[in-house]
Formats: sequence, C-alpha cells, structure tokens
Amino acid sequence: MAAELEGSKCLSGLLSGLAQDTFYGHPGITEELLRSQLYPEVSLEEFRPFLEKMKGILKSIASADMDFNQLEAFLTAQTKKQGGITSEQAAVISKFWKSHKTKIRESLMNQSCWDRGLRSLSWRVDGKSQSRHSAQIHTPVAIMELEIGKSGQESEFLCLEFDEVKVNQVLKKLSEVEESISTLMQPA
Amino acid sequence: MEESSEQQLDAKSKVTSQLIDFEWKLGMAVSSDSCRSLKYPYVAVMLKVADHSGQVKNKSFEMTIPQFQNFYRQFKEIAAIIETV
Repeated sequence: MAAELEGSKCLSGLLSGLAQDTFYGHPGITEELLRSQLYPEVSLEEFRPFLEKMKGILKSIASADMDFNQLEAFLTAQTKKQGGITSEQAAVISKFWKSHKTKIRESLMNQSCWDRGLRSLSWRVDGKSQSRHSAQIHTPVAIMELEIGKSGQESEFLCLEFDEVKVNQVLKKLSEVEESISTLMQPA
Repeated sequence: MEESSEQQLDAKSKVTSQLIDFEWKLGMAVSSDSCRSLKYPYVAVMLKVADHSGQVKNKSFEMTIPQFQNFYRQFKEIAAIIETV
C-alpha cells in the first residue's frame, strides 16, 4: 500500500470530504477530487479501496450513533484486522467523530424526515373594536403565519386566524402533546 | 407580491384561513436505511383549515421536540396577550 495511505495527515480532510458527500449531500465530491486534492501521489486504483474502507468505517460509526466507548472498541477492532487501519488513523477517526457527531446526526435525522417542516412562525394579536354596525365589542384575534416546507422546495405560507376560544383549544392540545413527550422521555 | 418573512406580520396583505381541527401524533423514528440507530422523537401535526370559500384542506408538517417546544411557548405567549387585550 502506498506510504501516503498509511499515514494520517490527510485523513481528516478525507473524512470531511466523505461527510460532505455522504451526510450533508453536497454534490461534486468525487473520488477523483478527493484523491487529487489529498493523495495526489497515489493512483486511483490504490486510492479507491482505501476510500471505500474509510467510508465504510464512517458509515458504521454514524449508523450505530456510537458513543465513545463503542467507538473505542470498534476502532480498536479495526486496528487488529487484516487490512484494517493503523492506530494513528484510529485516533484521527475518533477525533473526527467526536467533533462532527452532532452535525452528522442532525443530517441523518433531516434525511429521514420526508414530511415538510415548520420553517418559521410569526404572529400578532389584533384587538377588534366596536363598529357602528356590529354589536361586537373588543374581540381580540390572533393572526398567525406558518411557513411550511422543506429544503429544496418553495415554502407554503399558511395564515390562520384565531379568537381567544380557539387559541385556548389549541393550547390544550399542545399541553397534551407535552404530556406525551414527558411520558416518552421518562426512563423505562 | 408576498413580502419575505419579517418579524412584523402585516395581516392586511394576507388572506386568512380558519383552523377547523388540530390533530397531532408523537412519533419515534427508530431506524432507517441510512442510520440504524436514529432514536429521535418528533411531533407530526395535521391541521384542518377552511379558507374563505369554506373549502377544507389538510396541511401536515413535522417538528422536532425543540421546535415543538418553541411552538408551544409561542402559543402560550399568544394566549397570555389575547387575554389582556
């Protein structure tokens, strides 16, 4: 194996590139780009399996959402394998996961959410005052605008009007959701 | 032309709908093809809204728990204000 591949100097950069492609969905991170930028002395034939190995390791770690104990055990096993990684490389991978774990996990969560999300919320409360033709006095109303959409798509803006009764009805529902969340989060 | 989202909501330029029903579901994403250990809870919401013509439509979206908590907090704020107006 080329000496450069055994080293760990450019591995951090490689892992960043892999994360960009595999998790953050940035286009254009080809294996040729990574090779020419980080391992220019290495042939594509030699680089390819090395890249696949690192990609496989990173994907395994992310897929299992490894904590640091699991990570240690996993990487140690990789160093003992035939055709595995060096302990220097294990250290680089460990450091990379520790600093990128949260961001990668967020990306994975986003990737598995196929419905639209609530992108923004704005509101105001108006007080309707009495009019000559209406017996209504002081009917406050809340106007809320929800921006619903997902990345890569145009948002839908939904504008809703609520009177006090409706606000309280929704509030009651929301407190039910909160209660469910509390129950879910309680240790088993 | 709709203005881009701004802090001040100018309701006069928007046509408002009425909320008929608010349905919700608390889900837990366990695993997916890209991540075997997802384990994240989310709140899925289905709003039934009626526009000015009376036509009822379903609007659905998902929120993470922190997003939901922000949504809930804002509703509580609205309730507090609307009570005093």
